[in-house]
Amino acid sequence: MKAHRPHINRRQFLQLVAATGASLPLGQLCAKQSGPETRSETSPYENLKDPWLSLAEVQQHLLPTEKNAPGARDIHALVFLRNMLNAPDSDAEERGFILKGVDWLNDLSVKNHQQIFRKLSPEKKEKVLRRIETSRAGSRWLSLMMSYLIEALLSDPVYGGNRDGKGWAWLEHQPGFPSPTADKLYYKLGQPPRRRTKS
Amino acid sequence: MSKDYDICVVGSGAGAGPIISELAKAGQSVLVLEKGPWLREEDFFKDEMACCRRSTYTPKLEDEQHVLEEQMENGDWFSEATSESGWDFWNGNVVGGSSNFMSGYFYRLKPEDFRLLSEFGPIEGANIADWPISYEDMEPYYTKVETEVGISGKIIPHKFQEPRSTPDFPYPPTLEHPIVERIDAACEALGLQSLPTPRAVLSRPANGRNSCEYSGYCGSYGCSSGAKGSARAALLDAAVKTGNCEIRAHAKVYRLKSDSQGRITEALYYDADNQPRSVSAKLFVVACQAIETSRLLLASDGPKHPRGLGNNHNQLGRNLLFSAGGSGTGEFHYSKMDKLEAAALKTRGPFVNRGLQDWYYFNDRAFGGNTKGGVIDFLLRHPNPIAKAMSVRWNDDDNLNWGNELKRDLKTVFTQSQDLRFEVFNDWLPTDDCFVSLDPNVRDKWGSAVARVRLGYHPHDLRVGEYLSGQALKVLRQMGAENIRYSVSGSPPANLVAGGCRFGQDIKTSVLNADCRLHDVENLYVTDGSFMPTGGSVPYTWTIYANAFRVADIIKQRV
Repeated sequence: MKAHRPHINRRQFLQLVAATGASLPLGQLCAKQSGPETRSETSPYENLKDPWLSLAEVQQHLLPTEKNAPGARDIHALVFLRNMLNAPDSDAEERGFILKGVDWLNDLSVKNHQQIFRKLSPEKKEKVLRRIETSRAGSRWLSLMMSYLIEALLSDPVYGGNRDGKGWAWLEHQPGFPSPTADKLYYKLGQPPRRRTKS
Repeated sequence: MSKDYDICVVGSGAGAGPIISELAKAGQSVLVLEKGPWLREEDFFKDEMACCRRSTYTPKLEDEQHVLEEQMENGDWFSEATSESGWDFWNGNVVGGSSNFMSGYFYRLKPEDFRLLSEFGPIEGANIADWPISYEDMEPYYTKVETEVGISGKIIPHKFQEPRSTPDFPYPPTLEHPIVERIDAACEALGLQSLPTPRAVLSRPANGRNSCEYSGYCGSYGCSSGAKGSARAALLDAAVKTGNCEIRAHAKVYRLKSDSQGRITEALYYDADNQPRSVSAKLFVVACQAIETSRLLLASDGPKHPRGLGNNHNQLGRNLLFSAGGSGTGEFHYSKMDKLEAAALKTRGPFVNRGLQDWYYFNDRAFGGNTKGGVIDFLLRHPNPIAKAMSVRWNDDDNLNWGNELKRDLKTVFTQSQDLRFEVFNDWLPTDDCFVSLDPNVRDKWGSAVARVRLGYHPHDLRVGEYLSGQALKVLRQMGAENIRYSVSGSPPANLVAGGCRFGQDIKTSVLNADCRLHDVENLYVTDGSFMPTGGSVPYTWTIYANAFRVADIIKQRV
């Protein structure tokens, strides 16, 4: 039952970085928080900056809001993505790949439509994403975005997505029990005792 | 010279649990070295991210992996490290092993499975061998597993019913899903005998364990009630309570050291801090799943075993077994039934305890007469929602599916039908093209050579799988299922693995003797599924448990 999650091909990643010009050092991209974001009164979509702002736009295009069906914003897909990319077990290379993909996306949007991605009409956004999909690295990037988006839609809300169980409710899914608690997230289970230190 | 422990056990799953509990109860000091963490009931949730989307219960592939060899159409072998392919070949690496995550379909082998060569004759290209023991030798231990591990079920006489020393299971069947009425009706119309599937899941509380809570998520999930008969819940907790058993988690054994007499003196392992440690014992038992057991013995060369323990006749790692067969699905659309029927089929929780054994043996001219077949089990599509949604991630044009089209597809796949699946289990014939060796290049995070596994299969396995799948399809059609599809392939299921250290009478053709002790190592036993020369046509876990109880009795006699 384990998911098939091949890691990104390093050559593809380097190709992408070369194509876009690495504007951020990888270490800066890979700074990690200690735990998932907790629920706050302010919307997690307020005051967003890139790359998160563009990633949120991509997510919303991939999973749009409808009258009777939640979209990416409604389920807090960006919160989930950020939590997963900041999780202690996240792959630094994959994290860098996803974040760098925003530069690539905006470069292509400007080149083809003279505006960055989030300023484009839905039709032009669709064209840009389908264009990106035709390259191997681009398809990989979108495939990863889709994986995280589907996980955000249907994983337990404790991970930050599937807000208030909206994904489950929309798809009439009955979750199992007991559900995970914040202190027993998957990456907190089974860690070895801390390394002994000399006094 | 004094030893640290009487017995050191490497691994803690179904093949280790009976050894650990029986010998601890007998007053022996037992040390268990388990590579993974020690998770308890309070650590297990219905969390798809933990069970199935991330490496929570298995190593990260960058740290530990396999190299898998598959045959291409031109006959060449293509090898790829699993960190590259993403094909994760690990099962549960935690205290209690993968028995924590099984679905618990439990079947005994049948008497003929112990003498497959004598009963059905040789098949060219297959290394079929009779077992050195009989069903009668194993029967008391199959019975012991029913009570000690806890198996729920109901015996219904049928033509291939194996002999039993007790009339029925100690626990009644678990609750059943309403779809079994449809299965039973279809089978009756076809003249088939649908049988209740025994399960290693408690249907009532026993031995300090709760009964099943019927959450509807069982396979792939650790059990939070303790009802599932994992080695941890059923055996290890009680063993620790004796005061004679110590379980050391995060202890990765990388080598067994042997002396000039060939006796094992120490187990060398890395602790939780990745520091090398060693422990001595009078007697050692290895049970860390078939592939890793062969790998450990291959890596443990010594003065009398220059090519690895028990490998002086080049038998170690050979004749690895998986489970052959196939699987299929049929859909039952809610729009074509009334509301009550639809509500019944949507029920989540109870088990689909139905299987068919009508073709465990069959006579067909196309197969040359009397032939070994297998079993068919029915089950609902796994309720994991992320996995279900991932199935529509790509559209028919092989493009990524997104936007409103994705949403329509999601709505359809989640809400239009109940999907009934079948799984076929038949023998994976042992061949020279299915074996474990040490990879010459790829190392794990501690610097040890990883297991390289050649994944060849015998074409006969596919023919039998097709035959049995054809029978299962008739049942789905009779039930009125729509959009029926199935597949049979030689791609091995990583969670059903045995062989590699087959037991037998002759050291030249086997690694272990009939007691599951290495022929030429006086104090080393192997008690996971590695011992099996042939696998039978059922999941292996009940047989692994039973054999480990048998070997525990043998060891008790000598200590």
